[in-house]
Amino acid sequence: MRRLLTVLLLACAVLFGAVAPAQAHNILIGSDPKDGAQLATGPDKITLTFDQPVRQGFAQISVTGPDGTRWENGKTTVDNHKVSVGVNPLGPAGEYIVGYRILSSDGHPVASKTAFTLTTPGTGTASQPAPGLSSAGPQAQAQAPGLGAQAAEAAQNGGAGMAVLWIVGSILLLGCATVVALRRTKERESA
Amino acid sequence: MTVTVERAPQADTVRRLLAGGFVSAAVLAVLVASAFTAQEAVPGIAIPGPLVEYGLPVLRVLLDLAAVAVVGLSLLPKLLGFDDPERTEPVMRRARPMAVAFAWAWAVLALVVIVFQTAELNPGLIPTPGMIVEYVNSVGAGQGMLFSAACALSYAGIGLLAVRFGEKVPAELRIVIAFFGLLPIPVTGHAVSSVWHDPIMISMELHVMGAAAWTGGLVVITLLVARDRELLARVLPGFSKMATLALIVVGLSGVVNGLATMLLTPGVELPGALLTGEYGPLLVAKAACVALLVPLAAHIRFRLLSRIAERQATTVIAWATAEITVMGVAYGVAVALTTASLS
Repeated sequence: MRRLLTVLLLACAVLFGAVAPAQAHNILIGSDPKDGAQLATGPDKITLTFDQPVRQGFAQISVTGPDGTRWENGKTTVDNHKVSVGVNPLGPAGEYIVGYRILSSDGHPVASKTAFTLTTPGTGTASQPAPGLSSAGPQAQAQAPGLGAQAAEAAQNGGAGMAVLWIVGSILLLGCATVVALRRTKERESA
Repeated sequence: MTVTVERAPQADTVRRLLAGGFVSAAVLAVLVASAFTAQEAVPGIAIPGPLVEYGLPVLRVLLDLAAVAVVGLSLLPKLLGFDDPERTEPVMRRARPMAVAFAWAWAVLALVVIVFQTAELNPGLIPTPGMIVEYVNSVGAGQGMLFSAACALSYAGIGLLAVRFGEKVPAELRIVIAFFGLLPIPVTGHAVSSVWHDPIMISMELHVMGAAAWTGGLVVITLLVARDRELLARVLPGFSKMATLALIVVGLSGVVNGLATMLLTPGVELPGALLTGEYGPLLVAKAACVALLVPLAAHIRFRLLSRIAERQATTVIAWATAEITVMGVAYGVAVALTTASLS
């Protein structure tokens, strides 16, 4: 049993080297404009600051106006701890909700929101009418070819593509072996 | 086949009750806990549909249970010993194919979990192979799951050799591979960024391995050994020692990890955060499960063990079933805890 423990501890040590250890869960520590801020003129940019670097890709910020209209402009950009997106000139006065969803550095998606209030109506028009959820469609289509190209590249470089190939191969081989072995055991038992 | 295992008429019912109780307790607990931690809607942000939101935790807990079964079945030859093959071999002959089947389930579930995790990151889209490759390449949780699946597959391969050649395939090898496959699972959970990160991860690994050995061992002994009084009398004292150690390790590491994770997260105030938010109450629920296990385990250890040693009839199966059901609840809560929001 002691030998076994030694082996396990060694295995742990090896694994810590091999698998990238999880980093922490990102937490929003600040935003510009601040949560609950009262603004006379709309910001031209929303910046969210997290306690540690945010992963590239998958980050998304939306700005939703009082009547459900959408006001963010352009793509969400990630710069180390900060995630930001441009904002169109705002329209009606009222509460604007900044929703976000980022990929935390430990690999979990983290989503939440902050809000600010526009006290004087602006002159702008919404980037999208309400409701906002339809935005997933075109954005997704734009993303898909990029991902496909990256996947092809990854497959060429070995990486996960090769791993998948190995796993599929071993699944087939082991599957056949399992069926044969279990059938034989059953025969032996019934004999 | 020699008839050493006495088959009581209600044996199958007991077995079904036990396995059913374990699995349904775990699944129910994870569903309730996931509903508790459910992502509130954020305007303008697409969040995953209910299939992913509830399907992913259920798959994760089933994966844990399959891994627990594999670990328990791997420990069985060690617990039974190798001195009396006449008596232990019939049990092992049933255990080995089961281990292979559960290793299969583990591997397949790990791969399906990767697909679901990809879907979770890309709400509203059906994951394509390209997206899955991208996910595994960029996110550690994906690599961890892939590694776990690979371990489960190699376990299935070695388990097949064991089905064919019996105990000539070393039991230690199977135990090490099974534990190895468990190691990446906590890597996919929470972690904190501080100098305490590595100690916390190591204690997390101990937590996962201790829980798997304890639960798996108890499930397997209750299902496969408990009806043979002679065999049970030989196995249980050894397992009882291991279980006591596991109880201490699991309880301590769990409480320390949970509290340390909360302490090291900015904006979380102890002890108030234990009752508010998501992480705190789930941590309390899990600690309550372990606290509930103590009297159940103590009853088996201090009241029943001496009578079992004298080969008397006992109610050990009923008590073990209760213990296993509580363990199922703890596993369910554990899965929700890994993704619960801290703040």
